[in-house]
Amino acid sequence: MGIKADIKILVVDDMSTMRKIIKNMLSQIGFTNITEADDGATAWPMIESAAKEEKPFEFIISDWNMPQMSGLDLLKNVRSTKGMEKLPFLMITAEAEQGNVVVAVKAGVSNFIVKPFSPQTLKEKIDKIFNK
Amino acid sequence: MSLINDPSMKEIVTDFCNEADSLFDQLEETLSLVEENPAQSKELEKFGQIIDRIMGAAKSIGAQEISTFCELGKVIGYKSSQIKDVPLLEVVVAVLFDSLHMLRKMNQSLREGHDQSMNKLNTKAFSTRLTWLSNKFKDIDRASCSFESNLDQNSIDDLMKSLGM
Repeated sequence: MGIKADIKILVVDDMSTMRKIIKNMLSQIGFTNITEADDGATAWPMIESAAKEEKPFEFIISDWNMPQMSGLDLLKNVRSTKGMEKLPFLMITAEAEQGNVVVAVKAGVSNFIVKPFSPQTLKEKIDKIFNK
Repeated sequence: MSLINDPSMKEIVTDFCNEADSLFDQLEETLSLVEENPAQSKELEKFGQIIDRIMGAAKSIGAQEISTFCELGKVIGYKSSQIKDVPLLEVVVAVLFDSLHMLRKMNQSLREGHDQSMNKLNTKAFSTRLTWLSNKFKDIDRASCSFESNLDQNSIDDLMKSLGM
């Protein structure tokens, strides 16, 4: 794995099942430093606070559809914050409508993945994001 | 092999079943509100959002039948939230209540790992009924509700490439 194993990753999904699946896949790929958040609204203060403590998250993996703050709104918050303009952000969705993909790209998403996905697909997307 | 057939993933499947049960309760509350007062049809938008969440996780663990039901329920929920036709809303709520009942049974079968009991549920006939109802709303536009416009991973990759990603 070219990327360091202890890269600080935040997995954001309102379904704990999905968080477990994603964490499981990330562990299989070899990542070791994974934190979870159950909504964009929970994730955003965690991201801000980690940045303030100078221990920022280095990679965000977020679901699109969440009850309080969507993945898109979380992405917009991230991109509009100084120092986070290029923070790698992978969006996950159960259904990808073309318009949504375009909106997310305009908002600065790093890549997009559709459920269900395999650890191999996740790894490919991560490699693509970090080897740009 | 999907997660539902992988013995080492039993814990994740059980978690999904528990989580889905809790979301089914929320779906039932939403339907009860609209049943009591069809003027609150906007609540069906919330129904669509909640069932969409179950759909994503169901797809991921390979619970295809649950995922298909949720996909149809999502379309019906989102689109019917935009109508004011009370008799049609009453039909929508009744069918969604029945679907929810079926989803609970499917979830229970999944929890128990009984493929045969899932087969006895006659989900195909019910899915046909849901498809019939979703077709009633085919003229209502709603993002993420058109089966045809949803992209697979390869199409997304192509689209992102064309957008310079």
